[in-house]
Amino acid sequence: MNASRGPARVLRDRVPTFGPEFARVVQRTRLTVVPRRRIRAPRMPFVTLVSAVLLGGVVGLLMFNTQMQQASFAAKELEEQAHNLGAREQTLRNDLQELRNPQRIALAAVEQGLVIPGGSCTVDLAERRVSGSCVPATSDSTPPLEGPAPRKPPALSPPDRVVVAGGQAAPGRHGTTRPGRDVAGSGARTR
Amino acid sequence: MRVGFLVIAAVLSVFGGRLLQLQGVDPGQYAAMAAAENTVEIVLPAERGDILDRRGEPLAASVEGLMVVGDPSETGAQAPEIATFLAQRLGVDYFETLSRLRKKDSKFQYLARRVPSTLATDVMAEAEAAGLEGLSTRRDPVRTYPADDVAANLIGFVGTDEALGGFERTFDTYLSGKDGTARYEADAGTRIPLGDNTTVEAVDGKDLRTTIDRELQWYTQGVVRQAVLEAGGESGLAAIMDTRTGEVLALADYPTYDANKPGDYPRRDRGARSLNDHYEPGSVEKVLTLSALVDAGKVTARTRLRVPGELERQDRTIHDYFEHGLLRMTLAGVMAKSSNIGTVLAADRFDPGQLRSYLTKFGLGTPTGVGIGAEAPGLLPSGPAWTSQTADRIAFGQSLSVNALQMTAAVNTIANGGRYVSPSLVSGSATMDDGTVVGTDTSRTRRVVSEDAATQTMRMMERVIDPEVGVAPGAAVPGYRVAGKTGTAQRASSACGCYDGTFTVSFGGFAPADDPRFTIYVAVQAPRNGGGGGSVAGPVFSKLMAYTLERYGVRPTGTRPSQLPTTW
Repeated sequence: MNASRGPARVLRDRVPTFGPEFARVVQRTRLTVVPRRRIRAPRMPFVTLVSAVLLGGVVGLLMFNTQMQQASFAAKELEEQAHNLGAREQTLRNDLQELRNPQRIALAAVEQGLVIPGGSCTVDLAERRVSGSCVPATSDSTPPLEGPAPRKPPALSPPDRVVVAGGQAAPGRHGTTRPGRDVAGSGARTR
Repeated sequence: MRVGFLVIAAVLSVFGGRLLQLQGVDPGQYAAMAAAENTVEIVLPAERGDILDRRGEPLAASVEGLMVVGDPSETGAQAPEIATFLAQRLGVDYFETLSRLRKKDSKFQYLARRVPSTLATDVMAEAEAAGLEGLSTRRDPVRTYPADDVAANLIGFVGTDEALGGFERTFDTYLSGKDGTARYEADAGTRIPLGDNTTVEAVDGKDLRTTIDRELQWYTQGVVRQAVLEAGGESGLAAIMDTRTGEVLALADYPTYDANKPGDYPRRDRGARSLNDHYEPGSVEKVLTLSALVDAGKVTARTRLRVPGELERQDRTIHDYFEHGLLRMTLAGVMAKSSNIGTVLAADRFDPGQLRSYLTKFGLGTPTGVGIGAEAPGLLPSGPAWTSQTADRIAFGQSLSVNALQMTAAVNTIANGGRYVSPSLVSGSATMDDGTVVGTDTSRTRRVVSEDAATQTMRMMERVIDPEVGVAPGAAVPGYRVAGKTGTAQRASSACGCYDGTFTVSFGGFAPADDPRFTIYVAVQAPRNGGGGGSVAGPVFSKLMAYTLERYGVRPTGTRPSQLPTTW
């Protein structure tokens, strides 16, 4: 019989059911059945959050990709620009070097009446002594700046090419050049 | 039901087999085929190194360039307009361009090569604006020589597709570097971000720094040209060497050429005669003979000799360049008057083989190895070819041959106190295409004659310049002590196997004589004005030495020149 009795019942049997003791016990432990509270988390914010994250990720990825593509185009343009600027710099450096050509400088100097000194002298200020040949420079030590024209190989002296009306070319014949259709108004050189 | 399973199994088997083929048998090929669809591979060109002078001024430089090419299948209709446009803008030949633009069965024709990139880009933009189609550009670097013909014989030049001479050729690999590559995935020509990307960086060529002084080289070339033209000579050369280091500051040839237009000049003018040609040096060689005699203890500068007007030897009679009776000359007098007879009489005192041994130590018969291809080693007879008759002639500079730089280095040995220092044209070190490392870092020295013998020789050489007793007062440099020696040698012709009646006139010397800084050697081939080493080459030496001393700020030593007796 006892086996079928639950523990609350057993406890209740031990507790006096009346009298001051009962009141004291009741006052000390009043057990009540608390109603079960069922809280349902709202679904919408979570779905929204996940959707937002997903959407944001996809859009972000797309934007990132687009940005990378744009950067790729920009990089290509900048590379081309850098290449062109590099080539221009090289050309300008080359122009500068050609301006520094000793021959060019000498021609400009001679044009202004300068000559290459044939000797030099040393002035020692401490000893108040002059050594070497202190004479005005003459043009004797300045070689002619231009040499004769090169002896061109025969291959570089081809016969003149003459174009006659009708567009036929006849190498090696001299005569009045009458440009044909190809040459008319072209400004091309005929030799 | 079972039939259905069988069909499904068969289909899956086909798929499995295909999968095995794609992934197991040859996955690389298919992957490569897939990748190749969108993979672009470009060459990252290595920049060719510059050739610089000793101060870093460029003698040869590279500029980014492009070639303009045409596709005749597209250009045929507009050929006259395009040819006119390119002739005007790029200076190409109109008719040649026209025929190329109309070439049948061709989709690629060169129209202009080695056009500076900026110009080519501008021209292409103009062509596009003018509606001219079928033109495109490709990389084609331009090699420029900012100083035109200055040191052109040494630098060489680069042809359309290869280096064709001088340093450009012998140091081609050193200068070229190694092209790199870039592989990347691209779409419509634009790199795909985050796609496969492999880059092997290009290794640029190294700069080749020479020992040449560009301004001094320019001046030397001008003076040599003037001398050759005034003497009506066939060619001329001059070498200027730093006495102490063997660095060649200038090595000039005339005729020369403009390295920017090598095709305008004959082929024979595009080499370095100073290194590629060899000739009999004549009396400048007496410097070597007499210094060797002094070093061997056979003579001194004051040794007295009786010099007859003629000297009968085994196979011929030896003369001096001037007629005279019996002269009582010292060895210094023999040098000052450039007496062949006196030199032969003195050289008789050599032990057998001694002269040849000395000449070998002076560097004769061996290429200088300065880095120019096809250098002539010269001829120094040996074995049975070295007879007593040959020895007589070798003693005064005939029957042997040298190149100009060999002779410069040999004379420089006396200037350098008897120590031979090998000449250098490359500063530092650089590796030639054949693997040889050359340059000042590999320069070597060796004792040839004693310091005393070198000093005595120097003092004898000073008497050559003396206006009273010497034969080359025109080689003097006002204010400085100068030591030198003239040479006037008969020229051997390979055509007839004989002396052809023309001469090589030369002068080699150094200054200041008692503290030498520079050695200069000048030679003019086949002058037609009747001049000799003293009158033709001597003044050239004087001008070059004065300019060099002034340029490098060398002060006169202020001491008295040699007064060695020349007669007794």
